[in-house]
Amino acid sequence: MSCSSVEDLPEQCKLTHKITHDLFTQDGVLLKASLGRPITDLNSIGMLCIVQNMDGSKCIEWRPNDLITIDSDTQDQEWAVVNTIGRRQRTLSGNMTSDYEAARARIIRIPLDELKSFKVSRNNQQMQFSTKQGVWQNTCYFQHGNAEIFLSYLKNHVKTAKTRHDRNTYVVVEPNVESQVLNKSFAELDIFTENTTDVVWNLVSNFKQRPYETTMEAFSKLTDIVYYGEGVNGKREMSDEVADLLTKSMSALEDTTSIARSEEYEVINVKPTLPPRPSIPRGTPLSTEKWDGLQDPEGRITEVEGVKQLIFRGGVAHSIRHSVWKYLLDYYPWKMTKAELKSLHKKKTEEYFSMKLQWRSMTEGQELRFSEYRDRKSLVEKDVNRTDRTHPFFAGDNNPNLVVLQDILMTYVMYNFDLGYVQGMSDILAPLLLLMGNEVDSFWCFVGFMEKISSNFDMDQAGMKQQLLNLQQLMAFITPDLAKHLASKDSGNMYFCFRWLLVWFKREFSHRDIMRLWEVLWTGLPCANFHLLICVAILDAEKDVLISKDYGFTEVLKHVNDLSMCLDVDIILSTAEGIYHQIVSSPHLSDQIRVILGLPLALKPDVPETEPTTFSNGNDIGETEEVTLEYNGHEISVVTKTVWALLA
Amino acid sequence: MAKTYDYLFKLLLIGDSGVGKTSILFRFSEDAFNISFISTIGIDFKIRTIDLDGKKVKLQIWDTAGQERFRTITTAYYRGSMGIMLVYDVTNEKSFENIKNWIRNIEENASADVEKMILGNKCDLDAKRQVSKERGEQLAVEYQIKFVETSAKDSLNVEYAFYTLARDIKAKMEKKQEASNPAGARSGTHQLRDERPKPTSWLARCSVL
Repeated sequence: MSCSSVEDLPEQCKLTHKITHDLFTQDGVLLKASLGRPITDLNSIGMLCIVQNMDGSKCIEWRPNDLITIDSDTQDQEWAVVNTIGRRQRTLSGNMTSDYEAARARIIRIPLDELKSFKVSRNNQQMQFSTKQGVWQNTCYFQHGNAEIFLSYLKNHVKTAKTRHDRNTYVVVEPNVESQVLNKSFAELDIFTENTTDVVWNLVSNFKQRPYETTMEAFSKLTDIVYYGEGVNGKREMSDEVADLLTKSMSALEDTTSIARSEEYEVINVKPTLPPRPSIPRGTPLSTEKWDGLQDPEGRITEVEGVKQLIFRGGVAHSIRHSVWKYLLDYYPWKMTKAELKSLHKKKTEEYFSMKLQWRSMTEGQELRFSEYRDRKSLVEKDVNRTDRTHPFFAGDNNPNLVVLQDILMTYVMYNFDLGYVQGMSDILAPLLLLMGNEVDSFWCFVGFMEKISSNFDMDQAGMKQQLLNLQQLMAFITPDLAKHLASKDSGNMYFCFRWLLVWFKREFSHRDIMRLWEVLWTGLPCANFHLLICVAILDAEKDVLISKDYGFTEVLKHVNDLSMCLDVDIILSTAEGIYHQIVSSPHLSDQIRVILGLPLALKPDVPETEPTTFSNGNDIGETEEVTLEYNGHEISVVTKTVWALLA
Repeated sequence: MAKTYDYLFKLLLIGDSGVGKTSILFRFSEDAFNISFISTIGIDFKIRTIDLDGKKVKLQIWDTAGQERFRTITTAYYRGSMGIMLVYDVTNEKSFENIKNWIRNIEENASADVEKMILGNKCDLDAKRQVSKERGEQLAVEYQIKFVETSAKDSLNVEYAFYTLARDIKAKMEKKQEASNPAGARSGTHQLRDERPKPTSWLARCSVL
């Protein structure tokens, strides 16, 4: 009676009698109450499904499992055998046609566009649905107490909001209403006032003169950390700055150590501690106006560093992402004029289609004798069919976007046959295609992204192992107590972060958030391997739970996997940046950490003759006190370096 | 915290990419099926406690990424596993052929006495079948491993497979306990002989279902 091959044989399914399509099925669900149903229909076990109709509309459907009317046996089962998951009872035998009709009459269908609200209660055992305000028409009881799973899939298909008074009740929001609410909340979130943005923008325009200093001054006000005094020639490289800073910190440490002995300080903490973490607010996304203003009359992007700084700070407005990403992913060179880009685009389009033709023109016989190609193709097919299928852009049977996804990945196989296709690549491509909506552009952006992370897909996984090792070292430096805990639980190898790193957190965030995170990471600011600091930021926030609950090997993995879709991208970015500043200004910064983050190595002790002068000529903020700066209504505590050194 | 179980068994699902490992696990742990599954990246596990001959047995079932490239990472999780489900897809010849490679992989990375079982999944897709049930059975005989065809989608034999594997592990464990106890050593070997004829019963059961 069931068309069992819905996912694999869409064509065939259409021809059969089955006109609906199960997107999700949950067995072991008891119909507890249903308005207008005779009592005999209740308390029977069935399957709760999310079903797609031929016209694309969806509904929740409850179907009875047993085709016979409920006997006392089932009634007993309801409460008594709740905790034992017995063998499933699927009675398919018996008088099919008449029973089937009888059962059909008992099916309950709730169209999703009529659904007003739903509620999960009784410790994930009960779920209620309402299509009319104030009335719960249907109540379902989940035998296995796993209503949260159905809930999470249902939430993929309807837009919901939690109600204020009851956190277990969800109200279905109409799409247009929701966007209003979202817009409003974004406006509320906007931490920069219009004025400040302009101030910031003016400062950004000064990038040519003092690129790094200007940004730091404007955004973080971490004057004492990186920005101190004017550059000698007004055009200092970041590396020089950092080098200066490091030597300065070192001498500060030496100074304080000697002072401490002679003066009133008696205890010097032997264990080096990090300076306090500055809290740095996120900025607003790069807007259309700003982006337009950044182009010279011929269409070249001027002030590349400034653009990157802006993007690092606040990301890119969604409306111009499709354009900005091409630059960030090295598809479009920043310095090209509009005319040059036009011919580049033409060239890249031809190149793409000639590579596409290479595999498209492969005959069946060739394929048969080309196992390496065949294997790659089969892997691509399998993964395309399970990439972001809950997103409307990729949902449903015969979705043309799936074909494009597949074509791009297959063409990439021809572009880079040695690397071929590796699981995870479809995850990387999906948001790019979703945004670009264009095969050729998505492909070249994908190529650019892969260029940045191709070592993730090494045959021997050397790239992944190196990153996990680097992460371990960063953890030991930044949050040694957690690193120690993990090591003691056999988790020191950080393997539980594998998914994060392989697809750059794609599985941990919604599409909207992953776009924000990726564009920030693509800027390459403020240091190399900033994505590892994102890992550190996430783990640091979980530190208390992981340690206080004494989580072991399995619990750590579970906890980390379950963080998916529960993370706030802005908070994490802000924390990661704070951690970066902690690292670069920490007096005991080791070469090992410098290498990971691409910072210049420490100067040899005999070189810095001039440091004391640099130090005293530094800036005018008091050297041993905490300074609270007001920035855009936020109070930011900045402890001067001398204090940090003292703390160390 | 009080222990809520008598035994904890660590099980592992391995097999080629896309054979349905995650679906099998989802069916067993949640009794549900989702048409839009996503590929597993890295590793994850689920828990279900079952009742086995009066004992509460907590099954911790690990799900792994199937692609060969990730094996260096996933094999790290083989350690300590007491039972392994080797899964292939009856509609995919290659996944069946690779079972031999997966067995070799187990021999290299898991403990020698790990219990194994072969699952031929997606047996609901009869029209697309490439591997007959007989070939599956033959392979199982060759390696002396139990075998069953399953459908995570139609919930066919999934429960049976996990219960069987868990029961075998429990029997082996209890035997070991008896063996370490001098008085029970003799009866332990005797029980081992009793266990052997069982394969006929799973074959019979499998065709009934």
